[in-house]
Amino acid sequence: MSVKHFKHAIFLPVSAVALLALLLAACAAPTVSPGGAPAAVAPTPSAQAQVSTDPIYIGVSGPLTGDRAQYGAQWKKGFDMALQEINAAGGVLGRKLEYIFEDSQSDPKQSVVIAQKFVADPRIIVELGDFSSTASMAASQIYQRGGLVQFGFTNSHPDFTYAGGDYTWSTSITQNQASPALADFAVKTLELKKLAVFQLNNDWGKSTNELFTKRVQELGAEVVTSQSYLDTEKDFRSAITTVRDANPDGIILISYQADGALIAQQLRQAGLNQPLVGSASIQSPDYIKLGGNAVEGTYILGEFNIQDPRPNVQAFVKAWKAKYNEDPDLFGTLAYDTVYLIKAAIEEGGATREGIHSALPKLKDVPSIVYKKITFDPNTRRSQDPQFNILVVKDGQFAAWDGTKPTAQ
Amino acid sequence: MDSLLRTLLDQTINGLTVGNVYALIAVGIALIFGVGNLINFAQGSIFMVGAYIGWALVTRYQVPLIGAFLGVAVVCAAIGMLMERFALRPLENSARIAPLLATIGIAFALDQLVQIIFSPNPQSFPNPLPPFRLQLGGVTIGAIDLLIAFVGVGAAASLFYFLRFTKLGWAIRATAQDREAAQQMGVDVNAVNQITFAVASMLGGFAGLLVGIYFQTVYPTMSFTWGIKGFAAVLLGGLGNVPGAILGGLVLGLVESYGVALLGPSYRNLFAFVILIAVLVWRPNGLFRRNRRTPPEPLTGTFIPNQKPVPIPRWTIVALALGALALPLIVTDPYLLQILTNAWLLSMIALSVSLATGTAGQVSLGAAGYVAIGAYASALVTTRLGWSFEISLLVAAFVSAVFGVLLTLPAFRLRAHYVAIATLAIGEIVTLVILNAAWLTNGPLGITNISPPSFLGWKAVTAREVYWYALILLLLAALLQWRLLASPLGRTWRAIREDDVAAQAYGINLTRYKALVFAVSALIAGVSGAFTAHMYTFINHETFTATTSILALTMVILGGMGNMVGAVVGAVLLTALPEVFRGFVEYRYLLYGLVLLILIRFRPQGLLGTV
Repeated sequence: MSVKHFKHAIFLPVSAVALLALLLAACAAPTVSPGGAPAAVAPTPSAQAQVSTDPIYIGVSGPLTGDRAQYGAQWKKGFDMALQEINAAGGVLGRKLEYIFEDSQSDPKQSVVIAQKFVADPRIIVELGDFSSTASMAASQIYQRGGLVQFGFTNSHPDFTYAGGDYTWSTSITQNQASPALADFAVKTLELKKLAVFQLNNDWGKSTNELFTKRVQELGAEVVTSQSYLDTEKDFRSAITTVRDANPDGIILISYQADGALIAQQLRQAGLNQPLVGSASIQSPDYIKLGGNAVEGTYILGEFNIQDPRPNVQAFVKAWKAKYNEDPDLFGTLAYDTVYLIKAAIEEGGATREGIHSALPKLKDVPSIVYKKITFDPNTRRSQDPQFNILVVKDGQFAAWDGTKPTAQ
Repeated sequence: MDSLLRTLLDQTINGLTVGNVYALIAVGIALIFGVGNLINFAQGSIFMVGAYIGWALVTRYQVPLIGAFLGVAVVCAAIGMLMERFALRPLENSARIAPLLATIGIAFALDQLVQIIFSPNPQSFPNPLPPFRLQLGGVTIGAIDLLIAFVGVGAAASLFYFLRFTKLGWAIRATAQDREAAQQMGVDVNAVNQITFAVASMLGGFAGLLVGIYFQTVYPTMSFTWGIKGFAAVLLGGLGNVPGAILGGLVLGLVESYGVALLGPSYRNLFAFVILIAVLVWRPNGLFRRNRRTPPEPLTGTFIPNQKPVPIPRWTIVALALGALALPLIVTDPYLLQILTNAWLLSMIALSVSLATGTAGQVSLGAAGYVAIGAYASALVTTRLGWSFEISLLVAAFVSAVFGVLLTLPAFRLRAHYVAIATLAIGEIVTLVILNAAWLTNGPLGITNISPPSFLGWKAVTAREVYWYALILLLLAALLQWRLLASPLGRTWRAIREDDVAAQAYGINLTRYKALVFAVSALIAGVSGAFTAHMYTFINHETFTATTSILALTMVILGGMGNMVGAVVGAVLLTALPEVFRGFVEYRYLLYGLVLLILIRFRPQGLLGTV
């Protein structure tokens, strides 16, 4: 065999081995926790984790790059703030609480890999996320089999907590709860009878709209037109022309903040001035920032009100503004709340995976910024009896609704 | 009747405005294609950079709008020139597919860079224009509509003047017509190329700025959605045809606008892609060329390089396969096994693309569509009919093979770049149909609780079992493909790739052999999709997106076209790299893009060479 041939012959095995080595190195490489401090290199597996003073770790799987990166960025702010507060006050059970945020891009290919990584990492006692149901539910079975609680705090897909099993939990309000309430508010409270709906065409938007429309019809009102759009859609002018021709007396936004703001702007530009009623998901400073004057007067069946007079809410909003120089949004606040919920679970059941799993059904009335109090229904593994806040956009702020109804057109 | 007319007029104006923006993006793509014979996948990213530069100038530095346009022109032109000089010119003499991949790498890097600099959040772009609206018999036209029309028409007119009446313009046209001849006549073709990139990037940047003002927002992911519409517009007009690109953009905008009015915004893209396929079938040269024959394009013989592959002795492959089978006995880390499982599943998709693209020369960017069809077929058969996984896997293989032929049928008459864009559109159509056909697919809610992969009662649940199952499927697929390639069939496919006219002259029925290649290709992709669906236990329309198709093609090009081992190596490498870069958090996809560029720079024929 000539030298040249030999070179070729060994090229493949050598490169394969090199690649494998690279991969193994990646597994062993210390993960930098986004909080800044490099996480400790995996401790030598001493069985006595309970008495150690090592930090307690939460694993987070969520988008830090890619299309959904903005939501991951908000999560990080919420986690960072909650952990800073908790650790400054002495941590949990005398130990520091930390998180390891792995970027999944909300892509199921990556969320399943992260799930395996977290399950295999003995330091991690609970997992939070992923963001989208596509990514979250692809990983649920891995968490379930690994005996690691997957806690999805933005997963409103009605089947989410059943995708894994008794290790899949969520505080997110499902469409089954929120949609009829939205219909009741628009039809009964605001007395709107002919509604036009804009609906984001994803799992959440679709089931919300179906349940909403059903309830509207039960109440004797009518959805005159329903425009569903993809999350990449930015141009609503054509849809608005259709809405205008349907002549509604109210417009419902089943949207996220950025698309909701765009719709509002383009509606107002087209001269349509009907009252806007939005789902909780548009409640973000971005909705106001991107929407400007066009979103003034929008009603929101909100989950969270930053003007809520409860002292813990006001303290939180103040701290958030001081730290990040912006109002907290729903996604950041949910992340913040969830860390405190996990803290409560650790205190109840201990800093182990089984501890968290056994503690969640026992938790009672854990204080929460968004939901006021959280108690789980052990059968659905979601919170019981969620509360809504009715808000209205006033002078560039989300304000509690004072009861004034929209003036007739 | 009056209101109907008003609606029609309103939708026409909406369509023309958006169409003008498509036209601006498309002109850039058409220019670069004309001169460099290259589809520039980074055009969408440059569009997005333009939007951000304009936004930063107007909102952060209070620059007047005209200054913002100048700033965008300078920065985008500079990026275009740098890109041409350092990423594309070094690849001049390598396969044409190499610069195409380089533009994908640049797109990755630019998208991530903007996200890192300006944060991934959408930014508000307050309208810097006077808030006046023109009322024309019930129809309203805003200042931005007029501005877009003005820039669109202005750009088209100046471009016409530039190409027609200036020396540089002649040089560009001469280079587009015949590069070698132009060079012999003393035209500095490199300079021409660079200027073309500058002009194209500038126009793309303007389009970005206009869209930013129009929607009053800028966001990093605007690149892909708008870029792909640019390609569609170019194809509608005929590749490399500048006036055609402009008209194509306008037609696309109008068709979308009327489509939305009829069926709702969810159908916008479906309309766009269906129209595209229809035009490709009936008028493969675009709407505005009379000649029905596809223009003489560099065919795949030159499109795909003809170099010797790295010889790999059979014992190495057998040893590697055995090593991979034995790996879980040594390595027990489920994280590593899951990465490799993903790599095996993606390898199958890469093999499928390699077969269509590398072996038969039909560049396929629609693999995700076949993967999704396989996934849904298997998931539906098991959840609705209660069939077992072994059976559903066969059903999925069969269904995807059938759809693979039926869906690609319209693309059979097309060549090279046209096939690429047509298959991309087919992939998108599949996703959109899955989303909108809720009665069958449950729409965006997806299919939940799909049973894990099993075989005659044995269930693959642990990372190790799933790894083995996936690997065995990959080996079976590879064996099938290897047998086919070694048979006369393989030789026929390669003959079609090398010269389809000659192949036809030898009595090869092109349609039949193309149908066969797409059937086998879709079958392998569909099996991968079916297994993935059962591994995830949940799928919806977002599980298999166009990025999967692009990823698979990237793997194939990286490994070497038509090279089966290369496809697997490419898949393992591109699955592993983002994991290796995990520690870099926000920077990891930037690094990924750069590594891709470097690999292409030094191995343009792929790591293991073309077979």
